[in-house]
Amino acid sequence: MFPKPIHRSAAHWQVFYQGMLPLVMILWLLPLIAVAIFSIKPAVDFTNGNYWSWPSSFEAVENYGKVFFASDMPQYLLNSIYITIPTVIGAVALSCMTGFALGVYKFKGNLLIFFFFVAGNFVPFQILMVPVRDLTLDMGLYNTKTGLVLFHIAFQTGFCTLFMRNFIRALPFELIEAARVEGVAEWRIFWFVVLPLVRPAIAALSVLVFTFIWNDYFWAIVLTQGVENTPVTSGITSFNGQYRAAYHLMSAGSIVAALPPVMMFFAMQKHFIAGLTLGSVK
Amino acid sequence: MLFNVKKTVAAATASTLLATGAFAGSHALSGDLVIFSDMSNPAPRAVMEGMIDRFGAMHPNLNIDLTVIDRENMKTQILNFTSANAPDLTNWYAANRMIPFVDAGLFEDVSDLWAEDEFVNNLASTKGALTLDGKQWGIPYSYYQWGVYYREDIFNELGLTEPTTWAEEKANCGKIVASGRACYTIGTKYLWTAGGWFDYINLRTNGYDFHVQLANGEIAWTDPRVRQTFANWRELIDMGAFVKNHQTYSWQESLPFIVNGDAAAILIGNFAVAPLREAGLNDGKLDFYQFVSINPDVALAEDAPTDTFHIPSLAKNKENAKEFMRFVVSAENQTLINAGDALGQLPINAQSAVDDDKFLNQGFAMLSTNSPGGVAQFFDRDFPAEMAGMGMEGLQEFMVFPDNLDEILERLESARADIY
Repeated sequence: MFPKPIHRSAAHWQVFYQGMLPLVMILWLLPLIAVAIFSIKPAVDFTNGNYWSWPSSFEAVENYGKVFFASDMPQYLLNSIYITIPTVIGAVALSCMTGFALGVYKFKGNLLIFFFFVAGNFVPFQILMVPVRDLTLDMGLYNTKTGLVLFHIAFQTGFCTLFMRNFIRALPFELIEAARVEGVAEWRIFWFVVLPLVRPAIAALSVLVFTFIWNDYFWAIVLTQGVENTPVTSGITSFNGQYRAAYHLMSAGSIVAALPPVMMFFAMQKHFIAGLTLGSVK
Repeated sequence: MLFNVKKTVAAATASTLLATGAFAGSHALSGDLVIFSDMSNPAPRAVMEGMIDRFGAMHPNLNIDLTVIDRENMKTQILNFTSANAPDLTNWYAANRMIPFVDAGLFEDVSDLWAEDEFVNNLASTKGALTLDGKQWGIPYSYYQWGVYYREDIFNELGLTEPTTWAEEKANCGKIVASGRACYTIGTKYLWTAGGWFDYINLRTNGYDFHVQLANGEIAWTDPRVRQTFANWRELIDMGAFVKNHQTYSWQESLPFIVNGDAAAILIGNFAVAPLREAGLNDGKLDFYQFVSINPDVALAEDAPTDTFHIPSLAKNKENAKEFMRFVVSAENQTLINAGDALGQLPINAQSAVDDDKFLNQGFAMLSTNSPGGVAQFFDRDFPAEMAGMGMEGLQEFMVFPDNLDEILERLESARADIY
């Protein structure tokens, strides 16, 4: 099932592997490398058709300076933070509770409710576009951060519940029973017994949800507009002027926008991988 | 997305002396003037704020309240605010883009302004664009020309001169193609550039009035005169006049062809000059000519998209708004706000001075003296939005597969039946 470790294959295979690996990696990263190079080019290189060759001058300071000091990017970044952090807290908090309820209590319809949460994951979100937009309009939440946060929490809770429920289900049930025998109230069991045990799951889930929400573009353009509420993913498009698109600034902006989730990944790498594999390996 | 800039007049300092001269006779206003503007890019925004400073200085007792709305958001918000909490003035666009608001009774008729001497004598070039049902519904503040921007150095190398007739245009193009270049670069990925070509060939083949009737749905797409437009266009396509694979480029991505000398010209608006200059095409290499005449019997008419101010019917201070309109179109203000360091476009008032810029000068001369047929607004502003969308798709398809013309026209014709 697992691929054979490379150091156990024949010598010429190892050489081939070591030669191909960097090549494939560069090929795979090519679009990202292009964006990075675009971000230090001057605007004139795009009018000259000088897309792929050496930049005619290096404008890194100029371009990134403009992104930070002469555009609305700082506001967009701030919006992204205001949208992402409450969503992470909300979705994780809710799913801890739903996960506890579905994982610990045996009641009629438990499985049915659980399936509803899971099924929610399989709804293609595009079909929700029009109803959700109308709903937020009617509730007065259109073009507010609150509207976006509430929707994200609602939509992410499905996946998060699946995740937490399975994790809590896998805890040794004896711990909970022991607490019950001691006469501990149910909410105290949740707070003092279960929550400390699921801390790794919470960490993993937070990292995952953070990247999901930070990188969301679809709902950002559907539910918000304008500088005040738009997160950075759709804010980057404001570098499209009335007539001209500033490709160099858009590239610089994209790099800046991509940094937080990347840093998050490196800082929390362990949790991230745990999050992706949790439950898949027993 | 709303920015409030309150300009109370007490604050508008000593510049009072500056502007009064030109407006001798207009009495000082008082009360309020609420303006919603979509001039949100940095340069236009400075222009708008500058106008308010100068107007405020002339009317020290007037409270001017400016709200700047992002240019894209304006398109969705204008219906909301003109039908409820209306400002006294709002920006919008000329021609058919006004129809929904005029039909719904949301814009105020300002025909009385257009009967004043200043308007009659100096603003005639854009009157048609602001007229619907025989009345005028707003005033223009800026426009820019369209035309053929070409590589003068390539023309010199091949011994070509600026053409004025269709035969000369095609003869030039033949020589350019023979030299291994394309005559015109174009990027039709976002469709509208093809609309420019259709506008011009149709305006030159059938004239302004026919073009407007077509835009208003009064003429069938399958009409033989429309087919004649496409037949003329096809002559260029069959010559290989356009760069290949143009459907994959945006207009900006089509610029390298002209910059690198793989194409000799581009039909585009004046906004293309700035990037072309930055890319090294100085005034010795780049030049401009008016789109050639095709049918000698029709008067020359141009595309010149016009930006405007309107008074919502629900406005509370209409007299103040009208005074501001008079101020906006005055020759002095027009000169100032359209200068190269401001909007960098063309003033509407025929008495205005144009910045000393090769292309602005040529455009101003063309539009104020050599466009007797009228001024169109551009395909996607003249045709209703839905028709424009389908129409431009059809135009792009025609440029790539000219043999599909019958099918395309049938499709547009059935769309016309649904849309109007």
